[in-house]
Amino acid sequence: MRRGIGNNRNKVLGSAAFATAFTVLLVLLVFSVLASITFGNADISLKDVYSVVAYELFHADSLSDCGQGAVHDVVWLIRFPRVILALCVGMGLSVCGVVMQAIVKNPLADPYILGISSGASLGATLAIMLGVGTFFGSNFVGVMAFIGALLTSFSVIGIANMGGRANAGKLILAGMAVNAVCSAFSSFAIYIANDNNGAAEVARWTMGNLSAASWEDNRVILPVIVGGTLVFWTQFRNLNLMLLGDETSVTLGTDLHKARLAYLILSSVMIGFAVYCAGMIGFVGLVIPHVVRMFFGTDHKRLIPLCALLGASFLIWADVLSRIILKNAEMPVGILVSMIGAPCFIYLMVRRRYGFGGAGE
Amino acid sequence: MNIKTDNVRISFGSAEILKGIGVEIHDREFVGIIGPNGSGKSTLLKCIYRVLKPDSGCIWLGSEELKHLPVRESARRLAVVAQHNYYNFEFSVREVVLMGRAPHKKALERDNAEDYRIVQECLETVEMVDFADRSFSTLSGGEQQRVILARALAQKTPCLVLDEPTNHLDITHQLQLMKIVRTLGVTVVSAIHDLNIAAAFCDRIYVMKDGRIAGAGTPEEVLTPELIRRIYQVEAEVVRDSRGNMHILFL
Repeated sequence: MRRGIGNNRNKVLGSAAFATAFTVLLVLLVFSVLASITFGNADISLKDVYSVVAYELFHADSLSDCGQGAVHDVVWLIRFPRVILALCVGMGLSVCGVVMQAIVKNPLADPYILGISSGASLGATLAIMLGVGTFFGSNFVGVMAFIGALLTSFSVIGIANMGGRANAGKLILAGMAVNAVCSAFSSFAIYIANDNNGAAEVARWTMGNLSAASWEDNRVILPVIVGGTLVFWTQFRNLNLMLLGDETSVTLGTDLHKARLAYLILSSVMIGFAVYCAGMIGFVGLVIPHVVRMFFGTDHKRLIPLCALLGASFLIWADVLSRIILKNAEMPVGILVSMIGAPCFIYLMVRRRYGFGGAGE
Repeated sequence: MNIKTDNVRISFGSAEILKGIGVEIHDREFVGIIGPNGSGKSTLLKCIYRVLKPDSGCIWLGSEELKHLPVRESARRLAVVAQHNYYNFEFSVREVVLMGRAPHKKALERDNAEDYRIVQECLETVEMVDFADRSFSTLSGGEQQRVILARALAQKTPCLVLDEPTNHLDITHQLQLMKIVRTLGVTVVSAIHDLNIAAAFCDRIYVMKDGRIAGAGTPEEVLTPELIRRIYQVEAEVVRDSRGNMHILFL
């Protein structure tokens, strides 16, 4: 039946379609950035918003009135950095999702699979509940989460490499084991501290939030994420080979051991920064790669750039919604992403008969 | 390019799978390796295509020893069609074959028109052109195996290793695959289960049993009722058809 009726669906779109999609998504991203800064609780006219942006970007003297005041601060110091942060986090999560799925050869992998999420939670929990790491300054929770994320992912990589080379199965198992340990310690810290406010703060933090965006953070995360994405784009051939397995890769002239280690470290750093700036935002890193695969297949030459652009736009709009959906309050973007994204994904999956590649009959 | 092994040994745990194997495959020769399940055929081939590392012994690919060659270089000399190729992700047929060009590519090099031409040519050779844009995972086992052969051909290597390549194929495609390989004019070493296929296509045959070489020579020399009884414990008769080709009948 698949071969009869499903013939068209089984075809993968060609390179002209890729060029079109790339252009469309790039335009969409630019449009998203410009449009999304006009949304927010403060009532600011379109003209004022773009005057501020134009002043900051081009420093035109005619607009110097817009260089200060409440409107300037809302647009340039609150909204714009937040949009850029959403762009970075969405891009980073999507690209790292693709890379992780390739590394562990498992379509269920997401950027947090190596225990990054539980490690980051543990760091954040220790910071919030027990005040560990206050000497890191005002964003010590983020710093502790970053440290927790990196420590767990590196220990997972280390454990998986013990007693012979790491493979997909060992990485997943090590990730799950470290996950369990970190979650247990987080729960333990919450339990013994017996602090309801703290527990609520931990919960809020793990839901993901882009409101802490600032230009200082963006100056770091933007180059890390965009640079990392470009690096992974150049690695498309190795990423493709990873899906064929180590044995086939060797017969095709590539020993993936070192590459795998390098990719794991790079994506850990990218995700660590995303966690530092925005907490944990689930779903994006799992689903954006699959949505792109449904239409463009698994070739990483296309997958990486398209996921980067789509993921960035997706999170920008999710964040806009999270800002305006509740009157005078904000919803954690992580919740919103899953509430809206998951049903859309299920719809697409059913419509396209997407079986995560060969798994379905 | 010739392939040579000398005293290759490998153990898994306490079980010694290869007990000192020495074979030599001359330039452009088609050599079959036959033997019962578990005799070490695949293990030997895996040592040759570098998925396994022998505990001791040497393997030469041309004039160089295998362990001194970078994997990229050995993949330019030797391509492999192995038994199972199951992928958990969707690739188009063309993309799979294009991966055969990987050993010829530098880290940042893009696929060029020449690569696509070679891919097209290899797909034509295995008669899979019409399937080029189909998703690999939707093909039948036999079609997948032909695509994998096309990928190996795209490597443009002077040597080809076939690890029981005809396992999933019907008789038409078994014969087709062997004929294609036969006409390539490259060095071929193939593990083969079907003795009649071995008799029809091989220049020479090595017989393996319990991790040792139990016989070697042309099909006529090797495939005798006595050897078949000794190796497989079945009675057989070797007959010639009207064209003089040999056939093995199992009694």
